[in-house]
Parts: sequence; structure tokens; C-alpha cells
Amino acid sequence: MGLYEDVERVLISEAELKARVAELGAQINALYSDEDRPLLVCVLKGAFIFLADLVRHLRIRHEIDFMEISSYGKGTASSGVVRILLDLEQNIEGRHVLVVEDIVDSGRTLDYITRNLRTRGPASLRVCTLLSKPARREIDIPLDFVGFEVPNEFVAGYGLDFAEEYRNLPFIGVLKASVMAGL
Amino acid sequence: MNNAIPAAIEQVLLDERTIARRVSELAAQISADYAGLDDLVLIGVLKGAFIFLADLARQLTVPHHVDFIALSSYNKGTASSGAVRLIMDTRSSVTGRNVLIVEDILDTGYTLDYLLRIFRARNPASLRTCVLLSKPARRRVEVQVDYLGFEIPDVWVVGYGLDYADLFRTLPYIGALRKEVYTRG
Repeated sequence: MGLYEDVERVLISEAELKARVAELGAQINALYSDEDRPLLVCVLKGAFIFLADLVRHLRIRHEIDFMEISSYGKGTASSGVVRILLDLEQNIEGRHVLVVEDIVDSGRTLDYITRNLRTRGPASLRVCTLLSKPARREIDIPLDFVGFEVPNEFVAGYGLDFAEEYRNLPFIGVLKASVMAGL
Repeated sequence: MNNAIPAAIEQVLLDERTIARRVSELAAQISADYAGLDDLVLIGVLKGAFIFLADLARQLTVPHHVDFIALSSYNKGTASSGAVRLIMDTRSSVTGRNVLIVEDILDTGYTLDYLLRIFRARNPASLRTCVLLSKPARRRVEVQVDYLGFEIPDVWVVGYGLDYADLFRTLPYIGALRKEVYTRG
């Protein structure tokens, strides 16, 4: 199929993802208690596959909520300020919040989201990201759970897209340069 | 994982293996039906459908996009009324595209019927529905289901995306909740 032919190489295999997501689930189980009842906040769309697999490993009592954001366009990227298209259903005041992200790149969007959530007075606020690309970081933002550090290459699959394609690849792959160039 | 079955669960209706096998079958059927067709967009209905969608999409062999919508009913409580409020619409336009609505459960049918009407008004190239669970005993309005995972009896089910008051949503199987749990006060 076309999608697979566009992949230059597999960076993280399905089996590696599965094993690591289980480990992250175990770490989250160890950190929180049933009484904490953490609220996992998923930032759409990229994180939904990671979230779907991660939460099936959780044994502690927890809840899930979603946010969808959109950039205001060019010129605002450096501030990280985004428009919230779907806000949380729940009030997070006094709650333990765990933001679930697919990838942390420059860190600017995540920085804005965590600042936004912090204004609401959560009891705690932590971040769990599947991937981190340290080479691209512009804002030093604390990450509590990281699945994998990845090199500065364009990755797709397991929820991450390129122009809305490749999200459903069951692994994380590096796309061919010809794909990125739109050839 | 989640080895211990919570006390609130009366029985496991569909175990992980049974769900996984059926999701694969649905994905194969959808992949065959949409082969060669461009511009397929799966629209997941939050929150319940996200686990089903994540598993289904990964097994599709046809290119597609994923989008989400979020709904809220106007009245609280467990009985479905016809009207739902669209609190987040799709990111992209569906006009001229092949739309597949992905839902966790079909109960009275009011919600899916409403969704079909609003999406049909946007003139998609085609419009189909994929539903993991159906409770025929509860149906109030006939609604088109193109791909169905399982028919289930009229019991409160949780897990694999379905919740009871936001609990039990992420159990890896689908379980029937004890009646005492949801009939209490």
C-alpha cells in the first residue's frame, strides 16, 4: 500500500511502542492513587492513538478529557498561543491533571497549554509525552513521562501525521524526503 | 493489564480477544469497500469512540483522514432525547468526501440519526456509519448502520471507551455493569 512505500525507515517498531507504552502505564499507576483520580487531558488529534493504548494499562481510578487546539496562523508561533477549539468538559480546580501529548518539539504549544491549565488551579499538573525531540526545543519545559527521545527528523505514524496522512501507521517512521517535498 | 475485574462489573460481555478479532474484520471490510476511493474521512464521536477508532484506523489499508466531533445532550441523565448539541465540529469540510462516522454504541438511535442528517446536509460524496455496539431493544428510530461490531442485550455496558459517570471507560474489555450500580439514588 502507498502509505508504507512513503516510509524511509521504521524508527520505533510496533513491538517497541507496545512495550514502552506498558512501562509508561506502570509508572503512572505507581505515581497516582485511586484517591488522586487523575484527569488525563488528551490534546487532539495527534495523541489519540497513544492515549487509547496507554489508558488500557491504567489500574488506578482516572478520567479522560479532551482538548482540541488550533494555531492562529503565522506570526504567533513564537508565543505558542493557540486557539482552544474544544475546552475541557471538566473543571480541573483541585484535580490532578496529566497532559498526554504525542510529541514535544519546540515546547511552545505545550508551554502555553500548561500555563493555561495552571491558571485553573489544579492540585498538580504533569506531562506525559510519547516522543520528545530535544534538538528542536526552544522552551525548557519539564516532562514527567517520556516514551522515546527522537532525532530531529520528520516522524509520522501512531497518531502523528504529515498533512493529515500516515496517522494510522502502527509504528513511528521517518518519511522519505520526496514525500516531504510533495513529489 | 487490568486483571482484576472491578466489583461493579457483573460479567465480561466481550473480552479483549473477541473485540480485537471483530475490529480486524470490520477494518478488512471497510478497506475492501473503500479501495480505490479517494478522500475517506473517519469521524470519531468523542469521547466514547476514541479507543475503537484508534484500533480500527490502524488496521485500515486504505488512506484516510481522521476527524473528531464532540456532542453534549441538552438534558442530563441516562435517557437519550433527540436533540444533541454539537460542541465541537469537524476541523475540515466534508463536502465531496467519503464520510464514515465512527460511534461506540447505538442505543435509541437519536444521536446517530441527528448526525447523519447534519452531515448529509453538507453534501458528502458518500455517508456511512460504523458502530461497535448496538442495543436493538432500545431503538426508537431506525437508523442506517453500515458496519456493526456486535449486537448486545439491553444492559449498561462499560469499557473500551464506554463509561459510567466517566468511570470504567478504559477497561480493555466490555463489561456489563451491575444493576445496583446505576439504579442507586
